[in-house]
Amino acid sequence: MNPGAAIHQARSRVVAALAARFRDLDLAEDAFAEAALAALTAWPAELPRDPAAWLWRVALRRALDAKRRAGTRAAAVHDAPPPEPTPEDLAMLSEEPIPDERLRLIFVCCHPAIAPEARAALTLKVVCGRSTPRLARAFLVGEGAMLQRITRAKAKIAGAGVPFEVPARAAWPERLGAVLATLEIAYAQAYEDAALAGDAADFAVEVLRLSGLLVELVPDDPEVLALAALVRFAEARRPARLDDHGAMVPLAEQDVRQWNAALIAEGARLLDRAAELKKTGPYQILAAIHGAHLSRRETGETPWLVIASLYDALMVARPGPVTAVNRAVAVGEASGAEAGLTALDAVRSDRRLEGWLPWQAARAWLCEKAGRAEEAAAAYDAALALGPAPAERLYLQRKRAALSTQ
Amino acid sequence: MQYMLLVYEPEDAWEGEAGQAAMQVVVAKHMALAGELAAQGVLLSGNGLQGTATATTVVMGEGGAQTLHDGPFAETREQLGGYYLIDVADLDAALAWGRKVPGVPGAKCEVRPVIAQ
Repeated sequence: MNPGAAIHQARSRVVAALAARFRDLDLAEDAFAEAALAALTAWPAELPRDPAAWLWRVALRRALDAKRRAGTRAAAVHDAPPPEPTPEDLAMLSEEPIPDERLRLIFVCCHPAIAPEARAALTLKVVCGRSTPRLARAFLVGEGAMLQRITRAKAKIAGAGVPFEVPARAAWPERLGAVLATLEIAYAQAYEDAALAGDAADFAVEVLRLSGLLVELVPDDPEVLALAALVRFAEARRPARLDDHGAMVPLAEQDVRQWNAALIAEGARLLDRAAELKKTGPYQILAAIHGAHLSRRETGETPWLVIASLYDALMVARPGPVTAVNRAVAVGEASGAEAGLTALDAVRSDRRLEGWLPWQAARAWLCEKAGRAEEAAAAYDAALALGPAPAERLYLQRKRAALSTQ
Repeated sequence: MQYMLLVYEPEDAWEGEAGQAAMQVVVAKHMALAGELAAQGVLLSGNGLQGTATATTVVMGEGGAQTLHDGPFAETREQLGGYYLIDVADLDAALAWGRKVPGVPGAKCEVRPVIAQ
């Protein structure tokens, strides 16, 4: 392993331990950054025996120094006693194994007191060490806006007194729900990024790692397992999502040989473990839908009837316009295009459906399938006018062009 | 840390006979909550406020000019109806108390940390 990789691997654990000890995210991040910098110059060709322990010792010393400097400054004003760790304290602290406080840190970053879109960015920044410019690109906002989002979230954590604690079990349904929603937002962002070249895949890998870490920390929650399975199933299809021209390939038309078998197997194992816990939830249903699509790899056919009934269950567990549109497409495949269009007409949404891309795209496809060429053409045009991402635009243009030639 | 629990209520909920009855129920629950807060040793102070019909607002203008306005500062449906000032460990503890604040549907309890001295 090279020094950079070793530092990256040690990061979440060391930053979490520092944050839990000092209850200060900025201090933890800064101290770790200083230790990482020191490591790059201090580590010779060979890494220390335990790079994480080395980084923990150095970062802890840097953090204590920073605290002392801040304490001295505060003392000059407020006459407060500076927190002076003795050399013995420091030596003793450094000998302790690094406490695993990553779950605490995740709960802090995903606290419901923080805006949902800021939670995802903050978690990827603090827990995964993603830089602000990288996050800005992934979340499609300017660097200034992203920096402000993260700064505000940190200020709220410090100012409002968000505790650096794993909440009591009784509060888990709400608090763990917020953590899972955060990971889902983070992955959705990485998934949207897939069509763009460059560092997007690397970003998704970080979400894979984070969901795996959550399974390690909370091994007995079926929804945690299911979310980890879900992102693996989705990520397994990445190589097949675009054709040679950069156009989107719909799930049911993807070349199964391009899917990542190892990730699929890993996801299936996680979903099996979730099923053994015998408590169903929305992420398990979602993962089961993805799993059903992936079963085409063995059977050669997409089990649309199964998928449609899973969407029925999802409409109960997690109703919403996105679920309803996806369900309508599945119904269209399982029971005929007209049935799908009827289901699509029943979609209820706060937004104007005509101005909503997923609804128009689904309508175009179902109309085409039903042989209503003119309505299909109008829906494809409407979808294209709504500014789809480049890969989807190419796909929709191709579908639209194929219609006109008939 | 000290937190202020600010209780906002739709004032029209108290109108009429049904409103008066609803108020009696909510007030009784507030008394019980105040008792529980005091018993836990976290209550610093707390009061209910008279309705916004009794409010008068001083508006600060440029150059120290001041005018009086007959009413609350903001004409919104929910108005500040009372507060608790509590001293607890952290936001989660404050929010747990905030959840116990009684209210009619539409009422809100805003939890705000107090600036440390």
